[in-house]
Amino acid sequence: MDDLDETPPTAVLRDPAHRVSPRARRMWALEAVLGELVVLAGQVVWWFLDDGGRTTHWVVFAVWLVVAVAYTAVMPVWRYRVHRWESTEHAIYTQSGWLTQERRIAPLSRVQTVDLQRGPLERLFRLATVTVTTASAAGPLEISGLDLPVAQRLVEGLTAAAVLDEGDAT
Amino acid sequence: MSEPPAEVAGEANPAGTASETTSATTSATTSAAPPPETPWRRLDARMLLVNPLETLIRALPAVIAIVLARATSESDDRWELLAVPVILAFGALRWLTTRYRIDHGQIELRRGVLTKQTTTARLDKVRAVDLTAKVYHRLLGLTKVEISTGSSAKERIVLDSLRLADGRRLRAELLHRIDSRVLDLPPPTGPSVGGPAVGDPATTATAPPAPDAGDEVLVRLDPRWVRYAPLTLTGLASAAAVVGFALQALRTVGDESRTIVSGARRVRELAIWVDVVAALAVVSLLAVVAYVLTFWGFRLTRNRLGSFHTRRGLLTSRETSIDHGRVRGLRLDEPLGLRLAGGRRLKVVTTGLGDERGGSDWLCPPAPRDVVTPLARRISDDEDAVEAPVVPHGPAARRRRLTRALVAVPVVAAGVWAVVSLLDSTPWLWLAVPVVALAAVALGVDRYAGLGHLVTPRHLVTRWGSLDRRRVLLRRDGVIGWTVRRSFFQRRAGVATLVATTAAGSQHYDVVDLELERAYALLREVDRSLADEFA
Repeated sequence: MDDLDETPPTAVLRDPAHRVSPRARRMWALEAVLGELVVLAGQVVWWFLDDGGRTTHWVVFAVWLVVAVAYTAVMPVWRYRVHRWESTEHAIYTQSGWLTQERRIAPLSRVQTVDLQRGPLERLFRLATVTVTTASAAGPLEISGLDLPVAQRLVEGLTAAAVLDEGDAT
Repeated sequence: MSEPPAEVAGEANPAGTASETTSATTSATTSAAPPPETPWRRLDARMLLVNPLETLIRALPAVIAIVLARATSESDDRWELLAVPVILAFGALRWLTTRYRIDHGQIELRRGVLTKQTTTARLDKVRAVDLTAKVYHRLLGLTKVEISTGSSAKERIVLDSLRLADGRRLRAELLHRIDSRVLDLPPPTGPSVGGPAVGDPATTATAPPAPDAGDEVLVRLDPRWVRYAPLTLTGLASAAAVVGFALQALRTVGDESRTIVSGARRVRELAIWVDVVAALAVVSLLAVVAYVLTFWGFRLTRNRLGSFHTRRGLLTSRETSIDHGRVRGLRLDEPLGLRLAGGRRLKVVTTGLGDERGGSDWLCPPAPRDVVTPLARRISDDEDAVEAPVVPHGPAARRRRLTRALVAVPVVAAGVWAVVSLLDSTPWLWLAVPVVALAAVALGVDRYAGLGHLVTPRHLVTRWGSLDRRRVLLRRDGVIGWTVRRSFFQRRAGVATLVATTAAGSQHYDVVDLELERAYALLREVDRSLADEFA
């Protein structure tokens, strides 16, 4: 079994060519912190509603602290290492995730819509998410954490390519 | 798959009766010479009867409640009768305001009493046409036409109701106009070329266009197949639904608790095996009833364009038409019970029907293997994809199936421990642990045995599952994207799940837990050019 690790040149596809913007790490970290703060807020409410002993509260808080710090420290870096994308004349190829990792490939002839989204956090970091959908509800390719100009160029390229193709791409 | 039988489609028919392609020819003329307006059509006037009836049925609980209340009260007021003219007027308004037409390559529907609404859909977006007739529709010779124009259930045009012959003609119009080939076809002559018995004589005699002529009948229900009804989860689910409905009805009528309590007492007095047998008998009976109601008179035909038509139902009759251009594959189901009894069932993987929406994707109800397998072979025209043994996924996949199944064991053990230590009276419960362990191992082994894939020149085949085993034949040109997914544990085991996304059926079909290299090799085998793009 282990001789498969000798990277047979044919089998596995190479990584997509481009990384996302390095600023994405800071954005994901901030996103993580915001999520953790919501959980903390829940605990604060619980603190004031509960008249009993404080031991459970401190235990839960300690668990929260450990998980939150580990998540904030590990996830963005890990995710940045995984997230990659590439778009050629014929196809688009993405890699995303951290614990569960995914590679998605779609031929441009099957692309139906190309979206560029910018949430508040993404605006703060001058980043954008490009979502490419196909006729399959299970098929959208999402590239998050792209530099805004890069994202805009990508969307223009993809839209031009998608327009060239006839048919309903199912 | 379903390539139309070319020799029939291409055949010249010199002395043709123009009846069947009337619609097609009209469309040709209308588009050639630009007439100002195609006239609007109305629903059948008999819907005026259907509408109040449906309202009554929907309001049945309220009606019963009122009747019961009246029985005990002294008052003579019949204020609830005020609702009758309102309902009738509303139905009439609905009939007056609803109209539809086919014009300029699109179907338009206008309706709405207060809010006017116009729905328009291009004919080439029409993906499937359903004709549904409940009992009262059938008594009045009516049918409800549902036209699916997109992948979601919302994108539908519903005409409730038309006369059956009109509905069928509309369907023929819609489905034939999708296909430009039909416009070039000469009108058909007399009897069909090779098809066995065609249609029932009653409908062919009355309905002017005989769209059934030239259709080949692929399968007809054999009443003996009813024996498979209790063996499927669907059968059991429908049995449960009947029980639930009965309980609810009981509750509406009145005091259900006393009935249940006395019933429970009577059941407890019986021996346990009698209970089990009785329960099995009741559930089986209900499943059989559900099977008969759903599939009675089931018939699958294929017309010369390759489109499928199914017809089924004892009380509510349903006719579904699936445009051949939308078909992306087949799904052979072998749930455990059915498999042990030598049965299978067949569904179609197509765009435009949501995943199993309303069960209009049936191509064959639970039936013997010897019927379903040849049928699948005939439809797909790909013997290997239907029958050839699938390629197993290897030791890592087997390990993962077993581990996942065995997770149940500690959970059950913990549960038993909790019960035994709390109640302190039922140590025989520990027997459950080895039983569950054995069942888990059997399940894991069988799940691995079910797992496999295969690539044929035209199909990507994937099979999975044990209790609900499925073998999906997905057309290779129906795959519109790929995902290679690896969870944390999958990466450690060196395997990946290859997901083929598609616009049809459940939108994606997975090849689970394949070794990483083999997953990519499979991707490359199915779509060489795409894989080379990033090699």
